[in-house]
Amino acid sequence: MRIPYYPGCTLYTKAKPLNTSMHACFSAIGVELAELPHWYCCGTTFTLARDNRMSLIAPLRILAKAQQENGKVLVPCSICYNTLKRANYMLNEDTETLDIINEHLEESYDGNEIVLHPLEFLRENEELIKSKVKKNLKDLKVGCYYGCLLLRPQQEIQFDDAESPTIFENFVSLIGATPIDFPLKVECCGSYLVVTSPDAAIEASYKLLRNAQGNGVDAVVTSCPLCFYNLDALQEKMKKAHPGFKQIPIFYFSQILAIALGVEEKNLGLEQNKVSPYEILKEYDLL
Amino acid sequence: MSKLLIDKDFKRRIEEISDQKLSDCYQCGRCTAGCPFANFMDAPPNQVIRFMQLGLKDDVLDSQGPWFCAACLVCQTRCPRGVDIPRLMEAVRVIHLRAKEGLIDVSEIDKELLLDAPPLALMSAFSKYTY
Repeated sequence: MRIPYYPGCTLYTKAKPLNTSMHACFSAIGVELAELPHWYCCGTTFTLARDNRMSLIAPLRILAKAQQENGKVLVPCSICYNTLKRANYMLNEDTETLDIINEHLEESYDGNEIVLHPLEFLRENEELIKSKVKKNLKDLKVGCYYGCLLLRPQQEIQFDDAESPTIFENFVSLIGATPIDFPLKVECCGSYLVVTSPDAAIEASYKLLRNAQGNGVDAVVTSCPLCFYNLDALQEKMKKAHPGFKQIPIFYFSQILAIALGVEEKNLGLEQNKVSPYEILKEYDLL
Repeated sequence: MSKLLIDKDFKRRIEEISDQKLSDCYQCGRCTAGCPFANFMDAPPNQVIRFMQLGLKDDVLDSQGPWFCAACLVCQTRCPRGVDIPRLMEAVRVIHLRAKEGLIDVSEIDKELLLDAPPLALMSAFSKYTY
């Protein structure tokens, strides 16, 4: 099987582990990720101003490019996923805007591309994944952190229930680990406020990690490179603000999937995690 | 008590940019209750909306609340009246930004963060705080 793949800017730089582990996982389950040729930035955050059509151009051009390859495109970064999916929804709702943008571009797009997150792909191919799992993660207690962009707005994203989602937990169970529920799994980590108001991001991320720890997790798993940064890299600053805070390892979902699939350690990208994941993995005999 | 200065054009502008109807909000406060950043805001979301409903242009534009909104959409999910509150917050920001106020200044970003943060953090901030 071959599926078009849109990595987005961060998977080539600060979120390389997400990219390498994605490729390793999908190759282990026999799916080739075919990167879109000459892709560019999705524009990151989806504009909320109704009178701003400019910011729909980048997503539309990516969707048009993807459509030339296939009817579906796989997008692992939560921000890219959200932006492409919202733009797609909007262009379908507002055909006047779709026509106006199409008129100004070389490409043309009809609004029919399907934007797929790897967790959705895994949900659709449960038996295939199950048959490829080589390592049992059963004692590892994982907190599934959804964040905002995979879930909201629910009507447009249709990924899962926006308030009590389960797709991530089902994925974690599928590869044999133990999902641990925690109430703040759908709450914001502070997102890009880390750039302009770092304290707000540090506090928000601290609050949700404490909530996960209070429910007994060994590690937190996420899909968004920005959430990953806030939850992982900001832990030093959380410790300064809250001296009693005990650090906790963060993983990309594709990293724990790769471990379960028996992918070589060098393709996991664990050395880029700021909070060391090695102790917990050794404790559970997973490395 | 002094008379309130109601700016109807301003109300209309907010409604136009956000595509929301301000009279839909009945001030239940659920947006503020769920907002992860309400404690950083001088005026939390429901209060900013009240200022908007009353057409209090200066109170809306002086409020720091919209700048702490990370567009996480929890309020949008929970609003019983279907008001897309983050669009209202964005409307306040773009009114400022299009007047060249509140633009992000790269020289003020923490140097360590500039080198360390993932590109999408910076790109998101640049796209949110420019016009």
